[in-house]
Amino acid sequence: MISIDWIAFLNVFGAALLGAGSIVLFYALGLRMLVRAGRVPVVTPVEFTDAITVLSEKEIRRAAKQAEKAARKSPLSEGQKTLAFVAAIACFALCALAVIGGILLIVVGH
Amino acid sequence: METAALVVVLVIALALFFDFTNGFHDTANAMATPIATGALKPKTAVLLAAVLNLIGAFLSTEVAKTVSGGIVREDAISKMGAEVFLPLIFAGLIGAITWNMLTWLLGLPSSSSHALFGGLIGATLVGVGATGIDFGMVLSKIILPAVIAPLTAGLIAFAATKIAYGVTRRYDGKPDGRSGFRWGQIFTSSLVALAHGTNDAQKTMGVITLALITIGWQSGAHHEPQLWVIVACAFTIALGTYLGGWRIIRTLGKGLTEVKPAQGFAAESSTAATILASSALGFALSTTQVASGSVIGSGLGRRGATVRWATAGRIAIGWLLTLPAAGGVGALAALLVIWLGTWGVAIDAVLALVIIVGLFMYSRRNEVTHANAMSDVAESGLAVDQPEVPGPTRRATRIELMRALERAERKADEAERAARRAKKLKKVGASPAEVKAAKRAAQKAADKFAEAERAAQEWELLSASRKERAKLAEWDIAVDEQEDAR
Repeated sequence: MISIDWIAFLNVFGAALLGAGSIVLFYALGLRMLVRAGRVPVVTPVEFTDAITVLSEKEIRRAAKQAEKAARKSPLSEGQKTLAFVAAIACFALCALAVIGGILLIVVGH
Repeated sequence: METAALVVVLVIALALFFDFTNGFHDTANAMATPIATGALKPKTAVLLAAVLNLIGAFLSTEVAKTVSGGIVREDAISKMGAEVFLPLIFAGLIGAITWNMLTWLLGLPSSSSHALFGGLIGATLVGVGATGIDFGMVLSKIILPAVIAPLTAGLIAFAATKIAYGVTRRYDGKPDGRSGFRWGQIFTSSLVALAHGTNDAQKTMGVITLALITIGWQSGAHHEPQLWVIVACAFTIALGTYLGGWRIIRTLGKGLTEVKPAQGFAAESSTAATILASSALGFALSTTQVASGSVIGSGLGRRGATVRWATAGRIAIGWLLTLPAAGGVGALAALLVIWLGTWGVAIDAVLALVIIVGLFMYSRRNEVTHANAMSDVAESGLAVDQPEVPGPTRRATRIELMRALERAERKADEAERAARRAKKLKKVGASPAEVKAAKRAAQKAADKFAEAERAAQEWELLSASRKERAKLAEWDIAVDEQEDAR
């Protein structure tokens, strides 16, 4: 009689969903908070491959300008901006913790 | 015993070669997305992948234990003796490498891991019979994970992409900072490389450990790979990854599908999480298939995406074919051993040498073709069709609807005021020219009101129907035609 441990598959699904979900959620929240704090990240591709069809140097310059304008016109007070920045850092830290915690679970757990 | 020892050495050499080709073949899987989005320079990506594959190989030994102590029944091996069983492992490895090389040459989607398991199972079935295989273990730790893991990764990537886009979406037209996902991709692609080292290097460790247990150089009670086995496999896969990367750098920019940073970030998180969680439980899955599942899932997570069933079907057939096909080649190699004994091993060894030399010669060719330019993972991105500009979201249409309704209300007021003014002018006996002008203004205002009302109705229809919203998506027809031609 072949016995299959279906619970193990559910465990993998749950653990992977929790891991990937929390990494993406915290990272995205971190980015959102950075934008709120008036520090919109404009990250230029290190190399323009032919896969990058939606972005050109000119568009990046425009994006940087827009980010600067949005930061200037932000209705938030300096205190609120600092708070958003701290929240962004906290989100990135939680994201890193999720990664480190996951790896530790694998290494220490076995 | 001397012959058995010689075969063990051959098995170790061939297994390490398999490990090398695994790394060589799979660098692209971990690094195709960050290179495509411009998150990492190709050289940096390759070096990072090699180092993390090395580290990853030391993280866990669960998968190695599955391979060395689960697939083949030990009582069957001990009944047959090392002299008979070792050449079967050798034959299985030849089956795996041959199938890997064939699919690589033909540009078919495949999986190194399933080729390895297929080869081993095929050779054991021929050499020992069905009693030699622990089918329960094969089903629960290899076949079911093979089917479930890509689906799991796809589902998680779909959800993760929705989260990534949903959390960063803005409705006021201000910058959303999504290019910041490029930074994140450096970490998530590193995690994928780490996960690859954790799962794939262990498969070779498992095969070597199985050979060592068979000949009695390691106790059958402990299926943990010895330290030197771990170190050898870790360095071999890292070396393969590094050298395989140079091939990618050469062929870079040809055939990579377009991936947005947020999408790449979500896909890589899902791949890494699925592989790492599975490795911890000893599921020996195919990293290529998991990464492909994630790329397809994350593609579908973007608004307006549809599946190209023909491409998806071709990929799925390639996946399903790998295990039995490699099993068939492994079984043939095992037949040679059974019929010809030591001569069979010698013929298998010569065949292996021919394949290795062939592979080496092939990798030296500078020609860039469909077969070698694109990784299986990057190719799986083609299974999803995405509009260049997706239609508006439901919330965006609702916001537009509110605006349109406000405008319609304003225009209604204006039209009413203009009509009243025209009536009043007529009543007080203004000049006919004045009355005419007022009537014209009233008519114009009424037209504008009707137009605003029509616009509001259109937005109402859009906010209620996903189909109608999808109709507003803009497709790049030129790119589609190019892809269809390919």
